Amino acid sequence: MGKRHSNRSQVSTYCYQCVAGPDLLKVEIEDGVATQVMPNISAAEVHPAGGKVCVKAFGLIQKTYNPNRILTPMKRSNPRKGRDQDPGFVPISWDEALDTISGKLNAVRQAGLNDDSGFPRVAASFGGGGTPTAYMGTFPAFLAAWGPVDMSFGSGQGVKCYHSEHLYGELWHRAFTVSPDTPLAELIISFGANVEASGGVCGVSRHADARARGIKRIQVEPHLSVTGACSAEWVPIRPKTDPAFMFALVNVLLHETDRSRLDIAFLKARTSSPYLIAPNGFYLRHSQSGKPLVWDLKSDRAVVFDSADIDPALEGEFKASGREEGADDVIWPHRDVLCSPAFTALVDHVRDYTPDWAAEICDVSAETIRSVARQFVDHAHVGETIEIDGKTLPYRPVAISLGKTVNNGWGGYECCWARTLLACLIGGLEVPGGTLGTTVRLNRPADNRWSSVTTGPDGFMDYPMNPTKKGEWQSRSPSRHAHRTLVPLAANSPWSQALGPTHLAWMMQKEGFDHLPEPTQPDVWFVYRTNPAISFWDTKAVSDVMAKFPFTVCFAYTSDETNHMADILLPECTDLEGLQLIRIGGSKYVEQFWEHQGFALRDPAAEAQGEARDFTWISTELAKRTGLLGEYNAAINRGAAGVRLSGEGYDFSLDPDKQHDVEAIWDASCRAASAELTDGAETQGLDYFREHGFRVRKFSKEQWYLYPALEEKELRFEMPYQERLLRVGRELAARLHEHGIEWWDRQLDEYEPMPKWHNLQKLWEDALAEGFGADMSEYPFWLLTARSMQYAWGGNVGLQMIKEVAANVAGHGGVVMNPAAARKLGLAEGDNVRVRSPIGETEGAVVLREGIRPDTLLMLGQFDHWATPFARDTKTPSMNALTPMMLELTDATGSGADLVRVAVERIGGAP
Amino acid sequence: MTRWTVVADLNRCVGCQTCTAACKHANATVPGVQWRKVLDIEAGEYPDVRRAFVPVGCMHCENPPCLDVCPTTATRKRDDGIVTIDYDLCIGCAYCVVACPFQARYRVDAPASAYGKKTMRHEALLENPGRIGVSQKCTFCVERIDEGLANGKAPGSAPEATPACVGSCIANALHFGDAEDPDSNVSRLLAENKHFRMHESLGTAPGIYYLWAPADDGAQACKTNSADAAPMVIQSEPAKGISPALQLSWDWRAAANFMAGGTGSGLYLAAFFASLSGPSLQPLLLLGLMLVAAGLGCVWLEIGRPWRFLNVFHHPQRSWMTREAMAACGLFALAFPAIIFGSVVLAIGAALCAAAFLYSQARIIERSKGIPAWREPAVVPLIVATGLSEGVGLLAVVLTLAGALPGAVWPLQATLLVLLAARYFGWRRYRRALNEKGAPTGTIKVLDAATPSFVIAGHALPALLIVLSVVAGFMGPVLLGLAGVSVFATGWLFKFVLITRAAFNQGYAIERMPARGGGDSAPGIQPGWTVS
Repeated sequence: MGKRHSNRSQVSTYCYQCVAGPDLLKVEIEDGVATQVMPNISAAEVHPAGGKVCVKAFGLIQKTYNPNRILTPMKRSNPRKGRDQDPGFVPISWDEALDTISGKLNAVRQAGLNDDSGFPRVAASFGGGGTPTAYMGTFPAFLAAWGPVDMSFGSGQGVKCYHSEHLYGELWHRAFTVSPDTPLAELIISFGANVEASGGVCGVSRHADARARGIKRIQVEPHLSVTGACSAEWVPIRPKTDPAFMFALVNVLLHETDRSRLDIAFLKARTSSPYLIAPNGFYLRHSQSGKPLVWDLKSDRAVVFDSADIDPALEGEFKASGREEGADDVIWPHRDVLCSPAFTALVDHVRDYTPDWAAEICDVSAETIRSVARQFVDHAHVGETIEIDGKTLPYRPVAISLGKTVNNGWGGYECCWARTLLACLIGGLEVPGGTLGTTVRLNRPADNRWSSVTTGPDGFMDYPMNPTKKGEWQSRSPSRHAHRTLVPLAANSPWSQALGPTHLAWMMQKEGFDHLPEPTQPDVWFVYRTNPAISFWDTKAVSDVMAKFPFTVCFAYTSDETNHMADILLPECTDLEGLQLIRIGGSKYVEQFWEHQGFALRDPAAEAQGEARDFTWISTELAKRTGLLGEYNAAINRGAAGVRLSGEGYDFSLDPDKQHDVEAIWDASCRAASAELTDGAETQGLDYFREHGFRVRKFSKEQWYLYPALEEKELRFEMPYQERLLRVGRELAARLHEHGIEWWDRQLDEYEPMPKWHNLQKLWEDALAEGFGADMSEYPFWLLTARSMQYAWGGNVGLQMIKEVAANVAGHGGVVMNPAAARKLGLAEGDNVRVRSPIGETEGAVVLREGIRPDTLLMLGQFDHWATPFARDTKTPSMNALTPMMLELTDATGSGADLVRVAVERIGGAP
Repeated sequence: MTRWTVVADLNRCVGCQTCTAACKHANATVPGVQWRKVLDIEAGEYPDVRRAFVPVGCMHCENPPCLDVCPTTATRKRDDGIVTIDYDLCIGCAYCVVACPFQARYRVDAPASAYGKKTMRHEALLENPGRIGVSQKCTFCVERIDEGLANGKAPGSAPEATPACVGSCIANALHFGDAEDPDSNVSRLLAENKHFRMHESLGTAPGIYYLWAPADDGAQACKTNSADAAPMVIQSEPAKGISPALQLSWDWRAAANFMAGGTGSGLYLAAFFASLSGPSLQPLLLLGLMLVAAGLGCVWLEIGRPWRFLNVFHHPQRSWMTREAMAACGLFALAFPAIIFGSVVLAIGAALCAAAFLYSQARIIERSKGIPAWREPAVVPLIVATGLSEGVGLLAVVLTLAGALPGAVWPLQATLLVLLAARYFGWRRYRRALNEKGAPTGTIKVLDAATPSFVIAGHALPALLIVLSVVAGFMGPVLLGLAGVSVFATGWLFKFVLITRAAFNQGYAIERMPARGGGDSAPGIQPGWTVS
């Protein structure tokens, strides 16, 4: 043990640095100094991972006392912005900083909240998949009080997230992210999902427990990731060919497997498989009710899908009458038209996608693909049930998970569709052991998946698509990336702006797009816990754009590449310094499945360093100085800071007209939280939470599964046929073309009722060749990235301890390369190389690993820092500067993938 | 009796380094020091590749080589199996560092901060001057265990009484408990799973077990290797961070002790014997003593806590470093009076001390279990022969330079020739032993590179010169002197290379790549080693 001091105490707090949290921890304090992070063992019975935190949380002590922190408000003295410019930041008082900001904001308010293009004059960018909210105190209440704010300037969204999964997952099974039911699964086929690096404490512990009881996980990915290492089998697939592999799995299930092995009952009752497809590709509907028809084998006639006592056919051709509804309310009446159920269409659709066909594309043997498919069926336990919290549910212990670059960008639709379909074929969607959603962000309410299951059209769940019908479609979006205009699936929730094509906001600033509003700059841009100048595609282009923004306010921890362009830097209390209450529990991404729900307190473990101020104090001051105190307090009262302050039998609302101090605000929140959890019986405040750290009540495990909610409402999963998307796509095409927009045509092709295979490798190669005039033969490697648990989301590249311990995990800090490929280029371990794509280059040391395909290179994490102290000296390569932002590489959901072709050349020997 | 033990389940471990970080927090170790860390080991060739994560640190061995070598008794083993270091006793000689085959020990010679000179508040608060310049390593969080036991809490189940690394493990891969208790958590895990200990063949009986597959049945469970376990693959290709690395704890200063000390003690012995049948060679005796003293002076400069050097005498029962120091004291204590008073008895005693000193040096090297090039027993006669031949060689050089070589020098010629032959055959035997038993690839490369010059310039050439000196008439002494130079210089070169260039540590090895979930296990790997 180190030298320890007698004056020791512990403080409870949480770590929500990554989306896989929050997790609970304690901080030891000695003589007033936070000295060590430790698990919160008093939460062991409550937290799904026993009250433990991962390695990132242990960086928080250094994060607090980092000598490179910005500890006073600063203003820019050099009006010129750019990487080559010294910002000349000079310290100022909080009064001056807040007056300067509120002066700008008040001017904005006077000019109108939206500009001439209809865009909010105030923009904000927050990182980490919503996690900054857990550290920004009441700032959401300030933003709510303010009015429209543009959050479209992305910082990795769409390319660093599970973008297609977010959108299609929410559409199909309220699954913003998708998880195996790991505790019950017997087999998981993981296409590049790196859960051991990105699943957080809960993900890691669930999978470790599963391995201990003998689960088999097959990892399909081009390199042997940490998760691949922990898997029973590694299948080194060619990059971005996963759709072919997955289509071949579907083919084996439908063409090489006895139908009795599939869950026919599930397909008939809980999917659209029996719905008849009319000649134009839309459902054949009942002439009067408009409901989709199925062919009833009992009565041998077409009946509406929700008729009682029927046995709908899945296969065959039937003559039926009804009407077909196409896009824009076009109706085709049909009489005795020949049509087939969607399932038959599916069988035909995948007929040619055989394992032998996929083998060549994926560079994986057909036998391996067949074997994976057979194991999937063998482990499905079709027909079996299990009891969960007293309720009998289907038991299907097989699941498929998708990783980044598989489930975003082109091909994301195919993979998400195939994954969800495979689950449906064996009845394993949203049932114990199977493939589950974790949380909702686009549907509402966001804190309960079951409640979000509302009845929509055609027996499916409703979905808040952005309108595409004439007269309803919006040619102007309240965001600079046109999410409401271009992406119906992005919906219109508070999260939607983050799920639009966020790179378009940057691209539009650079080049504009025909027939969209003039891409104006935001008058004021707030930035917190994000560094888009590093963490996005084509980071040079992004940096160039932000350098032109007129007024940027960064909540700044240390200098970094984004706040290098700021006008004002504000030092806020960091993780261990600020006070806040957040919700915990329920089911959350990535694999946080709790049996409790409630609240946890972030109790300051260290005094604020320097002039750092609590975010709630900053928010309140801004509200006061912009004349929004009443609206701000009202927003807090409504729950904008995490908990509604009044309910049945209790009211701890703040006086709207007064300025409340930080502790008073959170004391009211704690009291309301206590009341909410005890149905008003108890109302303890801040002192209680300070003593206990958290407060929870039971959350039924049954709610981990959506199936019971659908069953109760007699709803179906919208699988396999995407009639709704087909219609939406056609309508969107019509609207865009009416508006003169032709540049989104490629994306419109994605609106297929069942996705066809596309040669994605060629798509990438063609885009690079045409976009940059590059000869692709000069770029022989595919460059990929992978999640680093130690660094991901933490904004901790400037922490020495993180770098030190991360170095124990191979690949950090270098370019991972297959030894045989390296030998051909005369490269050895540690050689310094330049990795070059058609748009940029980066440098790093060769890390030789057998666990990577010879045609693939890997760069872990996101680096290339040039301003962040400590990180700028580590000379760590990053693919972000090499990946182009291109419309051609943007899919219909607005996402891209971390993938580019590169060349490697030696620039020096190992040091 | 209690035997505290860590069991690491390689099926569970994900290499996240949470234990590494938790250890750094709980023990306030400085940047670069990791009492606990997790290795990232790859085995196989694309596409048949396995990757495993292996927590390592002090193994708290049943037979800790660090304990035997420690001259101060700072390193001790408690009755419960925990190996401890008394920072107040340790002189920072780093002998334990080179004796540990698990690379578990560190010596930090100056306060270190994460951000250079900008010491952070928690760093300043937790700074522990007692750890500067001494050996440090994992303690199994012994204070937590003792405090827990004192408060009725069971280590291994009560988190506050369990090592921080175990308590923090997010995959529940690490377990702590009493291996002597058949009902303990660790005993149950060992009974239910196949397991191995790292470097088992070295006989240290480590206190960390690695689980790699469920047991087929109870009878098989406790066997380290079951029938289906293919042997570990020894691979000459290095693997970064895993394969043997050049030890840096003992640098030129330690080498200088073996060079000067070996030559000095050899010279003293040579001069002593020469004096028996001829004129007294007091200056040469003094030169020998000076060389021994110079060598010890160099090593004194290297130890982390030089002013505690008297602690070196604490462990004569086992430590060859203590014995070396005592032999040196005996040598000086007897040699000076012998020279001053011309006492033959004292001179004989001094000669015996010189011989003991030289032998102790050889055994110091040989007991460094962490360095395969040193721990080979054949190094002992080689080092002794080298020291003696250097002594005689230097004697020939000095006598030549002084013009004091008598006409009939055949005893000197014969002695040198015999010692040269002994050194040569010692070298051959040593190299053959290393080749047969296997050694770090780096060691073999360095020794191979040194072999031609050592054999030709160090043996063939001086042997030829000695033979020529017999027939060369008046040039004989010159040739003999040149032979002495050659023997002396190549001896020093050899020891310098042995200590500072060829001294690759043991590195890490994994006997089996674990079965992951429902998968199969696979042969493990020892990278960076020559195949025997």
